[in-house]
Amino acid sequence: MVSTSADTARDAAAIFIARMDAGDWSATDEAELQAWLAEDPLRQGLLLRMQAHWIALAPATAEEELPLEDEDDAAESGASSGWGRRAALAGLAASVVGVFGAVRWSEGPAAYATRVGEIRRLPLSDGSVMTINSGSNLTVAMAQQSRQVELTQGEAWFEVAKDTRRPFVVAAGKVRVRAVGTAFSVRRRETGVEVQVTEGVVETWSDGDRSLRMRLAAGDRVMISAHAVIDYETDISSSVDRSLAWRSGMIDLNGRSLANAAEEFNRYNARQIIIADPRIAQEELDGLFRINDPAGFAEAVKTSLGVSVDSSDADVIRIK
Amino acid sequence: MREGKTSAEAEILARRRRIATWVAREIVPHEARVRRWLARSRLSPEDIDEVMQEAYCRIAMLPSVDHIDQPLAYMFATARNLLLRRLKRQQVVALEALSVIDTWQDEATPSPEAQAASRISYERVMAIIDQLPERCRKVVELRKIEGWSQKEIAAHLGITEKAVEKQVWTGVRAIREAWTQAETRGEDLLLGSERKEARSW
Repeated sequence: MVSTSADTARDAAAIFIARMDAGDWSATDEAELQAWLAEDPLRQGLLLRMQAHWIALAPATAEEELPLEDEDDAAESGASSGWGRRAALAGLAASVVGVFGAVRWSEGPAAYATRVGEIRRLPLSDGSVMTINSGSNLTVAMAQQSRQVELTQGEAWFEVAKDTRRPFVVAAGKVRVRAVGTAFSVRRRETGVEVQVTEGVVETWSDGDRSLRMRLAAGDRVMISAHAVIDYETDISSSVDRSLAWRSGMIDLNGRSLANAAEEFNRYNARQIIIADPRIAQEELDGLFRINDPAGFAEAVKTSLGVSVDSSDADVIRIK
Repeated sequence: MREGKTSAEAEILARRRRIATWVAREIVPHEARVRRWLARSRLSPEDIDEVMQEAYCRIAMLPSVDHIDQPLAYMFATARNLLLRRLKRQQVVALEALSVIDTWQDEATPSPEAQAASRISYERVMAIIDQLPERCRKVVELRKIEGWSQKEIAAHLGITEKAVEKQVWTGVRAIREAWTQAETRGEDLLLGSERKEARSW
């Protein structure tokens, strides 16, 4: 076979994949790979596809779902029992893909805050990743037997690395949300705490009232307070995804009221939208907007609802 | 692996691996379906390769794949858009090509049987591995079937880690080659011998 540039590219991709497979990927390796990728935009796809083929070549992969049964015991028996399985823990740790340095393993709590308009993606020491939405405050405490996040304000989306021995618990006031390996968001609102699940299963309850305990699956959303389940919707994956559009810097309205949409934009921007005419506040809107573009949104409202927009003030946009 | 990983590259690597694992699980098993669908638009095999590669590029660029409910439908929709763009650039478009464009939705829902076959059959894996040169075969077997790390394999075989990595490299290339061959034959590499309907046309 005549060697072509396509073959050369495949060989090079294979070298990178073999090296990534070795598990001691360095900054130099990454820089080399980035330089190689930059030479041809199609190489991203080549690399991904070949890496996927390599990963797919396994009758049973190491990424199998861990059984959820274990976590039930853990929750019932509290934090003290059921954790005497260090040997298993070590094995599990070895299978975790990477470990990151934002928070070291057994260090004390670390606090994070985002400003209005800031969305921050942050890897945690256990391999989980949290994406913190605008204007939020939280602390993270990683211990040998538990992973705890306290959300004091705002919202965050968690992609939890699987580790059945260390439950991942988010506390928002008295409300608790627990996961093993899954992805979900928690948002503190005035009326309660909103939990949305994008992957896997999570459990929620209130610290004062265990009877409120619920199990949520991907595509579920619940609004709970310390004392009651206020609202529960199931099987609404697309709606959950839309309300988490902020992860990619977008707001997806999809039939939300103008009042609600304005509130959403105001969450991210110093320049606030004010709806001066209550009669139009309940008009429903559709569309995908950039989170940091309230003016663009106001323009779209002007055209679609035929209202007037006053943007002469640098601090506010008035829709009337 | 716990020590010393403090860096952004570890995060990038983990993200890359998450997406590749997702692709391996959700897309790779159905890749042949997408290719067959693209073939109906009278695209040349080279063009099909390019569309597929572009589609994979799109996925590689995503910050996360968690928001994708229906991975196969997503892949089809991406391929469809890329195909459409390509057709628009062409001066003359075969009528078949246009009629194909909106049939992807039927394809994006695989039969329960195809869905069940979500990974390469064991025999296939063994057949691919069997064809590798001796030393490479041993390493790939330990890595993929036994799930050992490269480091463990090096210690076990008494060779350097670099040597193991080199054998893995040969293995990665061989697997890529096996896929290409299966593609030219229009087979599903995944579904064992029982399902070769692709050959009928």
